[in-house]
Amino acid sequence: MRRIISATVVALLAAQPVSAETFRWAGKTDPQTMDPHAVNSAPVLGFLNNVYEGLMRRDQNMQIEGALATHWEPIGSEGWRFHLREGVTFQNGSPFTAADVLFSYKRATLPQSDVASWFASVADVKIIDDYTVEFHTVAPNPIFPDTITNFMIMDQEWTEANDAAVPAKDAENYATRHANGTGAFKVVDRQPDLKTVVEPFADWWDEATHNITRAEYTPIQNPATAVAALLSGEVDMINPVPTQDVARLSHNADVKVLEDIEARVIMFGFSNQADTLKYTDDAGEPNPFKDPRVRMAVNHAINVDAIVQTIMRGSAQPVSQLVSPAMRGYSEKLADRPAYDLDKARALLAEAGYADGFSFGLKCPNNRYINDEAVCQAAVGMLAQIGLDVELEAMPVSNYWGELRAGNFDMYMLGWSPGSFDAEHPIRFLVTTPDPEKKLGSWNFGGFSNDKIDALLPQIQSEIDDTKRQALLDDSVKILQDEAGYVPMYVQALLWGARENVDLVQRADNFFILRWVTVN
Amino acid sequence: MTHSHNDTDTTPSRLSRAWHSDLAWKFRHSPIAMLSMSVTVLLVLSAIFAPLIAPHNPFDPGSLNLMNGFTPPLTPNAFTTDTFILGTDDQGRDIFSTILYGMRISLFVGFAAVSLGMIIGITLGLISGYFGGIVDAVIMRIADIQLTFPSILVAMLIFGVAKGFTPPQYRDEMAIWVLIIAIGLSDWVQFARVVRGATLVEKHKEYVQAARLIGRSATAIIFSHILRNVMSPVLVIATISLALAIIAEATLSFLGVGAPPTQPSLGTLIRIGQGFLFSGEWWILFFPAATLLMLALAVNLMGDWLRDALNPKLK
Amino acid sequence: MVSFLIRRVLQAGLVLLVVGLVAFSMFNFVGDPIDNMLGQERTQADIDRLRAQLGLDQPFVIQYWTFLTNAAEGNFGVSYRQGRPVSEIIAERAPATLELATVSALFAMSMGVILGIFTAIRRKGVLAHVIMSASLIGVSLPTFLIGILLIYLFSVELDWLPSFGRGEVTQVGAWSTGFLTSSGLKALVLPSITLGLFQMTLIMRLVRSEMLEVLRQDYIRFARARGLSERTINFRHALRNTLVPVITVTGLQLGSIIAFAIITETVFQWPGVGLLFINAVQFVDIPVMAAYLMLISVMFVTINLIVDILYVAIDPRLRT
Repeated sequence: MRRIISATVVALLAAQPVSAETFRWAGKTDPQTMDPHAVNSAPVLGFLNNVYEGLMRRDQNMQIEGALATHWEPIGSEGWRFHLREGVTFQNGSPFTAADVLFSYKRATLPQSDVASWFASVADVKIIDDYTVEFHTVAPNPIFPDTITNFMIMDQEWTEANDAAVPAKDAENYATRHANGTGAFKVVDRQPDLKTVVEPFADWWDEATHNITRAEYTPIQNPATAVAALLSGEVDMINPVPTQDVARLSHNADVKVLEDIEARVIMFGFSNQADTLKYTDDAGEPNPFKDPRVRMAVNHAINVDAIVQTIMRGSAQPVSQLVSPAMRGYSEKLADRPAYDLDKARALLAEAGYADGFSFGLKCPNNRYINDEAVCQAAVGMLAQIGLDVELEAMPVSNYWGELRAGNFDMYMLGWSPGSFDAEHPIRFLVTTPDPEKKLGSWNFGGFSNDKIDALLPQIQSEIDDTKRQALLDDSVKILQDEAGYVPMYVQALLWGARENVDLVQRADNFFILRWVTVN
Repeated sequence: MTHSHNDTDTTPSRLSRAWHSDLAWKFRHSPIAMLSMSVTVLLVLSAIFAPLIAPHNPFDPGSLNLMNGFTPPLTPNAFTTDTFILGTDDQGRDIFSTILYGMRISLFVGFAAVSLGMIIGITLGLISGYFGGIVDAVIMRIADIQLTFPSILVAMLIFGVAKGFTPPQYRDEMAIWVLIIAIGLSDWVQFARVVRGATLVEKHKEYVQAARLIGRSATAIIFSHILRNVMSPVLVIATISLALAIIAEATLSFLGVGAPPTQPSLGTLIRIGQGFLFSGEWWILFFPAATLLMLALAVNLMGDWLRDALNPKLK
Repeated sequence: MVSFLIRRVLQAGLVLLVVGLVAFSMFNFVGDPIDNMLGQERTQADIDRLRAQLGLDQPFVIQYWTFLTNAAEGNFGVSYRQGRPVSEIIAERAPATLELATVSALFAMSMGVILGIFTAIRRKGVLAHVIMSASLIGVSLPTFLIGILLIYLFSVELDWLPSFGRGEVTQVGAWSTGFLTSSGLKALVLPSITLGLFQMTLIMRLVRSEMLEVLRQDYIRFARARGLSERTINFRHALRNTLVPVITVTGLQLGSIIAFAIITETVFQWPGVGLLFINAVQFVDIPVMAAYLMLISVMFVTINLIVDILYVAIDPRLRT
């Protein structure tokens, strides 16, 4: 009897420290899948960066460093050669080789994969030896390594043995709820929508700098509940913190707020091509937004500083172009936003023949971007100052994209975060004339079209020289600014909350990297 | 059972006069009734005359200054030095004015939705309970279907369908009607079930049998006899329903289907305000919530009293 | 009685068919699932392929028919968001909602009946008035606000109770229960009160009003004249006769507790079917939405059936 009790006591004591140091964090949505190729979304890729690894990874400042590849170099202008790290094992113990890279490439480019677009420029992948692999591109691609940091490598043997060689989108396979990466943490319990538990991977190739023994992720949808959970100590970290709670939390001795600028630019777009307005009493009237002067007037009438100061409480940064200053290819020369100038805006409207203003419909999401609805509301007030009568319709994001795709707007809000962290990305998706064949302008809902920019894009994509490339990017930004094709407003802030005893690193892509966490 | 139902042989005008003077007497002797009545009347009047009372027009976006945002009550704004009696919200809207205008929308939605639910519910409940059989079965199965759909879902359905059919320029006005129909539709079942239940019991009572024997038509019996006698449970529900309809609007707003943010109702204001609970801008939540609480409490208390006062058996 | 039952079961089947139809026609309006399933770098070709793969390019009637035939076999399809069979997900989530609903209903019913009787018997007492007025506060604020205020008070300020989730759950076979751990029980308190408050007030007011009415009836006066004790009169005679409407309303409320759990579960991040449903709406996860609605319909129809049977059992006059 006594032996049983003491055994129990020992078991209890042994169990104690493990649960005591469980690090708990909460986000707004659950990563939908544990499959790194099935869903191209920030919650999934962000979470899986702790479990899987790519050839390269980004450091705390978003700079690229070696991960599963130690170094890499361009092969002339035909592609890139990667030298792989030796002695790396997957979490199931099997070794990592070039075959896994080729396998992962093939898997990621299947039609069922959601990340195939990363490899649009790749013609072929060749294994040179067990630890060397080459990606051949159809045209020179200077930023290729930058674009594939989230391309995560899976173990060929494990994936095939578990019948998961094809990413599952509308069904489930083994890789949906199980993971086998080379990363610092392994998934030990996965309960979709409830919690996902990870523990350190003992045989990780890199030196662990964290002190986590077990970490648990829970989605908490209601922002107020998440703040409450952080304040009461039920979780150690939350992402995001609502902008309005930043000041309060910063003054609380038990918690702290981390703030940085995100990659996402919030902008207004226009119905550039439609012949008539679609909304309000002026529906059916000729579309004033075809005139760049009208679009420029809107640009001058929106007081971005006031939005940032009040609605965003200083947690955002005004921006003049479609990418944030942290992105590669940002145009330093063109960093000034058009001044907030109502007289100029009215003058432009008058010049375009709309001295008395007009009325139109503005579409906005109400659960997609930080304070999206409030910002749109503020814009309605600001545009009223120059005689524009705006009817705002804010809707959940589940309906929003459909409305935009159907062209149901006169003006709309859009946020864009370039997946490649490069200024070329928004040009390709938002600015070039839509062309489904060439996969161009797929998010250019308003149909903005400019021949010069269309011609600049291929040049930008293949220019290897950084200075020349920047000049080309600058040209395109200049044209877009002069044409006022979009009204870029501000870069969203990253706002994380953590308990005072937690040290962590906030990366600009909003990925929470567990291996940089220390609990004191 | 000996029920005296000799109301029928008095003329309606005398009956109503007596009823009303009786009610007035009871009213004068109930402090709760008088207080809640005055509060309700005050709130309803201030909602009706909002454009005359409110210092600002919060529904006119051109008149707003974003820099006035988050001004605390009775404190001059740091940038614009404007002062607002109950402070401003995130858009720089005067809370006091916004509450008055918002209450108009809430009250309108509430009254309209409950009326809709009541008319449908009582009619179907009476028919169902009185006639029974296949009519009853059909109506009650429709009620089952209705109950299956949470009001949020009904609202979304109607929203979606209405969006498909409304010309774009009327979408703003549409939101309010969608709310009324959605809330009204999710309300009627309660009325119908209770009226049906009461009718089932009432129709076997002697006075109905007697009326039937002397050859009165079904409609006459239903409306003149049964309806009056099932009003007590209907009032209990109608009371709660009015307050509830106003609250349901707030809930729908929380789930993303509510009055447009540029023309907020009381519920939308609370939904917006709850985001500021932890941030220290208590006034954005507190004043609209307190107004809603006051309104709902007054209506509920008045309903309570009215029910007791109207109930002939509680004399 | 048997023919009554058969008739009702047939009617129930019809109800389910109509629910499925209404639900399905609704899905055309709640959004497009494809937008959520594909990342920002999707192309039109990807969209078309996925649409065909999911059968969304089929005419409405065929989609509905496929759904019905599969549902008849207990197959509700695969969730767009999780990629798992919907029946599996719902089975996993149902215990959370059922436990929450049970506790809320018990809370609402016991407190409602007790307070209802009390306020009826002590109609003119000060305490009864206070209870009547205070209870109204609970129905004069929206549920989500009550939930958030409770969290603010009991989790943040007082630090007594958890603000989200179910706490520690124990797996008993296929059923995950929060009843067996202290953290699980603590986690139940705030959501149950939030969810049950409205029903409690409704039941309390109903019990009170019915009690008052019954207490005025002749047979109660007669009982009193016969010299029966107040307790006997109140509980044996009066209470029993108030039960018909109370059962109707309580039965109906049981269903709406489950429906209203949507909001409570969202506020408290309670991992039940309500939260699942809200997630599904946001993601336009049609199979999950459809299954949820069918499930709720089955439940409502069953509850209504039970209420009707009880009705007949309690009030013999209804036996036609």
